[in-house]
Formats: sequence, structure tokens, C-alpha cells
Amino acid sequence: MRKILGTALLAAAVAMPVADALAQAAPRNTLVVMREIDAESYDPHRSTARGAGEVVYMMSDTLVSLDWDMRTVRPGLAERWEVSPDGKTYTFHLRRDVTFCDGRPMTADDVVYSIQRWVDPATRSPVRWRAGPIKEIRARDAHTVEYELTEPFGELLYQLTLFFASVIDKNTVERLGQNFGVQGFNGTGPYCWASWTPRQELVLTRHPTYSWGPPIYQNPRPQVERVIWRVIPEANTRLAAIQTGQADVTQYIPEIAVNQLRAVPTVRMSQQPNYFWDHFMGFKVDKPVVNDPAVRRAINLAVNRNAIVQATWFGQAQPADAYLNPNVTGFDPEAGRMVPQYNPDEARRVLDAAGWTPGADGIRVKNGERASFLVYGLQTAVARRYLEAIQADLRRVGIDMRVQLWDATVGWGRLATQEFDAFVMSYPYISATDGFALYFDSRNRPTPNRMNWNDPETDALLQRAKTALSEADRLAAIQAAQRRIASNYVWLPIAREGLWVAAAQRVEGARAHGIYGVGLYKGLDIRLTR
Amino acid sequence: MSATAGEIAIPKRPGVLALILRDPAAAVAAAFALAIVLAAVFAPWLAPTDPFDNDLAKAMQPPGSEGLPLGADTQGRDMITRLLFGLRVTLLMGVAAVAAGGSVGALLGFAAAFYKKIDGFIMRLMDVLLSFPAILFGLAIAAIFGPGLFSVVLALSIATVPLMARIVRGAALVVMQQDYIEAARAQGMSDARLIRRHLAPNCLSPIFVFATLRFGQVILLGSALSFLGLGAQPPTAELGAMASEGRNFLFFAPHIAVIPSLVIFAVVLAFNVLGDALRDALDPRLRV
Repeated sequence: MRKILGTALLAAAVAMPVADALAQAAPRNTLVVMREIDAESYDPHRSTARGAGEVVYMMSDTLVSLDWDMRTVRPGLAERWEVSPDGKTYTFHLRRDVTFCDGRPMTADDVVYSIQRWVDPATRSPVRWRAGPIKEIRARDAHTVEYELTEPFGELLYQLTLFFASVIDKNTVERLGQNFGVQGFNGTGPYCWASWTPRQELVLTRHPTYSWGPPIYQNPRPQVERVIWRVIPEANTRLAAIQTGQADVTQYIPEIAVNQLRAVPTVRMSQQPNYFWDHFMGFKVDKPVVNDPAVRRAINLAVNRNAIVQATWFGQAQPADAYLNPNVTGFDPEAGRMVPQYNPDEARRVLDAAGWTPGADGIRVKNGERASFLVYGLQTAVARRYLEAIQADLRRVGIDMRVQLWDATVGWGRLATQEFDAFVMSYPYISATDGFALYFDSRNRPTPNRMNWNDPETDALLQRAKTALSEADRLAAIQAAQRRIASNYVWLPIAREGLWVAAAQRVEGARAHGIYGVGLYKGLDIRLTR
Repeated sequence: MSATAGEIAIPKRPGVLALILRDPAAAVAAAFALAIVLAAVFAPWLAPTDPFDNDLAKAMQPPGSEGLPLGADTQGRDMITRLLFGLRVTLLMGVAAVAAGGSVGALLGFAAAFYKKIDGFIMRLMDVLLSFPAILFGLAIAAIFGPGLFSVVLALSIATVPLMARIVRGAALVVMQQDYIEAARAQGMSDARLIRRHLAPNCLSPIFVFATLRFGQVILLGSALSFLGLGAQPPTAELGAMASEGRNFLFFAPHIAVIPSLVIFAVVLAFNVLGDALRDALDPRLRV
């Protein structure tokens, strides 16, 4: 009944007039991409937003690229590279045919300038640590870059696929100053900056000489004249627009509509099975109540992830039965098995054994302290839904979870404080070491290590995982780190999001990628049939 | 009653309640308002289920499903239960905001009317407060104290203060010109006693009328703030938050947003009609 109603209403939506911005069919030879929110800037060294990344990937290139399997590093601006035996020096050999959008040839100096700008403290990039412990980066000749580290960093190539490592034009940066990425952009990507109307649309035009796309694409050249990134905040409007052909592509599809859209003949859907964007709850391990490992274990046991994921993501996400996606590089299956699975009776037994006895109101008490804790999160519909479900599951075993959701404008600041006991978050990662080094390194307290996890053994394992020279050593270290964390129940893994890209009938070749949560990546292979 | 020589026959003045009930629309509004207040007060006894107990297997069941006459929300909770408890929170939010903001506003209004020296200062302050929309207050307060009912009530109270202050000052200025005030002053009555005995009682009508009308507006504003995510936090049921939760599923489970929205509409309409009727009933010029 609900399906019939949903389909009928979805069909009605097609007939509904949508926003003025979409009043006409998408223009010929112009790809209209819809998204939910804009970014505050398109400077790859200053913004960490996915909204910035999805456009920056089209406007610029990185030294190396990431394959669809999310594991294999492929050539990018560098056609090949070597790593010194001590793992400290990477030598990148650049392509010789690369030009910026203004026609100027790209050289090793541009790569050196871009990486140095990224890691320069004056740039204040919040993710400059991703560039590794750089000792020096230098141009050996016009087409060779030497990237020297103070110690080995096995993650480097993965990190250099991220849009923060984009190569940009020094002249344009100096000309625009703080307005680089706001008033203009000059990169080597398949599409070039044309105009930006904040919170409405960003227009790109084809880079006419571009032919150096990553080898993961069938055609290394862009095949669309213009790309318009249009902001359509309302999900129902995006749904209507994609079905009526008023817009061409979007990855921002409400999960509840995915199955219906798959049944719509005018829409093509592409899914990325190797999508690493997870939701979790982290516990501040030094705060009352959640400092008790028994409570953290009981919480893991009490939460019915399957039911929550089904009700929240409507089958378009996977219950996170481990700290990481099993498809990610460095995943440890044994650590995965250490995460307690749903068993509310066992949760009650664990709490009983730990001395938490039910109080008059059903909430457990131990030494006069109620089993009550406060969770912070950012205000999203998804977070609200799964938190309410977790809240209800925990009440059933006698734990009171209080929820405080914040608007993103103030939420990040609040999440850097010590005023809460647990928090929920979602994040993208490209490897096990990437995710774990970010959250569990004691040097990253109080944020992003908001759990205040301060464990020398974990730190040592993470350091080994980052610096080991052999793949086997790296794997052994990061897998041991996963077991260390899982056995202490530092998180409640919740869900692994799915990635779908919906494309209108006239669009071919729109394949979901998912690097840093970005659906279209370089946007190559996309062509319009009319 | 028959008039005797030398007596003037004065018809008995009908009471305020009788005057309100004469108007069919107002009578219906009054009955509805009473019903929702009773429903809110007795929600724990009327609600068929626990408002916080979810059953995800029943999530978004449409109205008319087994055991769910109005369907279930995204957590599989009975909509009737959530509406009853949501009504409770929404009404309480309205009462608290009107009582707190109205009291402060009335005190400031009396002070401005009575003490000419501070009149200008108070009223300019009220003008400043009036220049900020309530939604902006809500956003600012939520940023400081965090989203929640306290923030919403505080924002709505602050937004109510200047409106009440203006109305009370206006009414008080009229009363201040009456002869009995002069007489009381001549008797040497203290300021506090004068305000308490003569000024305040004679300004009660506009205060009640405004409070009733403002109650409806406050519920609407509070629901809007909750809709924006600044109000009730999970798992508290609140009508605006319920509508907000359902807006993502308008095509698939419209009842989750539509039903609480209709209830907000009906409650606001009822209190607006009641406020209008109360104003008519308390207006001496319309009393016959």
C-alpha cells in the first residue's frame, strides 16, 4: 500500500511545477548537476567540504588518482613514480602535455608551489597533516618532482589522490589572493571555472585541450561543453527534476526514493559498492558512565543496527557491524568480529554484572550515579532518526541517552568541547590507517579524537602502520590497532552509507565513484545523447 | 422585573462567557480549545501507547493500519500518542512564553506609563526588540544555549515582551487620565498601591485579549522554530518537530507531516477566534 502510494505521489511530483530555476529542460550540451548545498570556497587548500571537492575534482588534477575499487592508485598528473628504499622519498615523473585552463603549461614548479601552499601554516589548511611529514618538496627538473619525508608515510599516495593535493596556478592565486576559489580558479582539470553565484550555481566550461584524464576512464577527454553545478536544497524538487529531465545528474537522492527511482525507466542509477562513508557514535572514555567499558559494551549489544539502518536509510545503507568497511585497505576481519552484535538480554546481563542495577524509573544506577549520558551531533534528519531509535533501544536495557543536536554553524565548535559524553558523526576515509590515524591518535585530542582516547599502545601501532616499509608490517600494525580499539568498545559503529548517482535519460557514462564522498569525481565519460 | 416610578430599568448585563458563546464560531473555538487543553492535560491517561516506545517494524505505517488509526511515525510510534504528548509540549511552550514575556512586558508597560522619566528609555528599548524577528531570536538563543524547549520559550518570551509592553502602556495611559486616579493620588495613595489597586485591574481586558491572541501566534512561531530544528530534542514529541520530521517523506508517508500541521492550524485558528471573541466581549462599546 505504502509503495503504491509512494509511487503515485512520486509520479505526481513529476507533474508538479518545480522551482523557477528548473522551469526549463536542461540546455543542450550542458550537463546540469544538482546538489544539496554549496561550499563556502573552492580553494582546495582552505576548504574541506565535500561540496568544494566535487567541483574542485573537475577543475583540477592531482598527482595520482584512485581507481573505482578505492584501493588502487593510478597515474594522474604523474605518469609514473618511484619510492626510495627507505620509504622517505617519492619521485613523481609528470606528464609533459598538461596545461592550465589559461593555456600555460604545467611544470614541476607548479606542483611544488601547490603542495607547499597546502602545508604552509599561513594557509591554515585543516588537513595539511594529510600531506605527510614533509622534509622538502623540490623540482628536480621541469617534469620531475621529489617529495621527501622525514619518515616513511605509507598512506601518502592515497592522501595525494584527495582534492586537497590539487595542483593550482600560482599566478591566479597571487592575483586573486584570498578570493582564489571565490572569484576565480585556474587548474588543469577537464573543466574550467566560468562563473559562480553562491548558493545558486557554479558554471564550468570544457577545458579544450584536456586529454590527460586518469586511466580509470574510457575516454580521457571531457565530452560536455558546459557543466552547471546547481544548488537545489529541497529533496523532493531534485527528485522531480531528475525524472522530468530538467536536470541531468545528482548523488543527493533521499534513500527512501532510491528503489522507486530504479524502477523509473527515464532514470539511470549507478551504485558504488566500495563507498567508505560511515556513521558512528564515539564515547568520551574519561567521562562518567561511558568511562565504564561494560556500559560501552552494553550499548553495542543493545542497539539493533539492522532495524535502525532499515528504518533510517530504507535499505540503502549497511549496518556497520565493524569499525570499518570490509572492502577497505587494511580491514581486519578479526576486529570486526569483536564488535558486539545485537543481543539486548546479554546487554542487561553485562550491566547487571558490572553493578548497574535498575532504578525506580527503569534507568540503571551504580553507586548513586544514573546510567545517563549526553550525546551531541549535528542537526540532520538522518541523525535525528537513528538517534531516536538508539535512544529507544537503550531505554529498554535501562540506559538513558540524552540527545542534543546542533546546527552546523555552531555544532563543530560545540563538538570540540568537553561538555558532552558521546557524539555521532559520519566521515569518509580511503584506508583503515586513514580513518584510524585520524580518530584514535592521542595527539588528535580533543578533535577529531573527541573520545579522548589516550593509549600509548594504539599510538605506537598507528605510528607503525604509517611508517612501516613493508605492506605486511603496515597491515599487521593497523589490524592490531583495530583489535585494540574494538576490544575497548570506544565506538558504537552504526551504518555504512551507500552511494547512488541518478542520471536523466539523455546522460550516459555517469558512474558513481565516491572518493571523499564525491559521486562524479572527474566527470569524464559523461556524455549527453541529445 | 417591572420598573416602578422613579426607577430606571437596567437590563442585566450578560457575562463574558455568555457573550462569547453567543457567537457560533467563537463557541466552537472555545469548545475546541477546551478539548485540546483537556487532551493535553490528560495525555498520559488518554494515549494508547508509550510515547517513547518505538517499533521500527511499523515505521511510517499509513493511517488506518491495524491498531494505528492515524498511522505511525518514522520510529513506528503511534501518531495519536505522539500528537497528544506533542500537544502538551506545544501548549506548555505557548503558556510559558506568553506568561513570562507577557508579565515582563506588562510590568514594563505600567512602569513606562506611570513614570514619565523612564518612559522614553523603556519604549525605545521595546522598539529595538521589535526590530528583531522572533525567528532570529530563536537562532541566536539556540546558538548560545543549544536547541531545545528552553531556547524556544526564551526566544518567544523576549519577542512577546515589547508587544505586551506597548499594549499595556497604551491602556495604562488612558486609565491614568481618569478622575479616580487623580482622586487616589490626592488621597496620598502610594505608587505601588495605585498601580495594584486601580491601574492594573482596569487594564486587564486588553491584557487578556492580547494574551489569548498572542498564544496562537506563539504556538505558530514555536512550531516554526521546532520545524527548523531549534526546539524539542529527541525523543520529546512536539507538533512543529513532528511536522519537520515528516517533511522528508511527503511523497511516501504524507500523514507524518500533514496531521501535526493540521493540528497546529486548528489550535492556532481556535485561539485566534477565541481571542477575537474575547476582545468583542470585553469591549464596553460593544456590550449591550
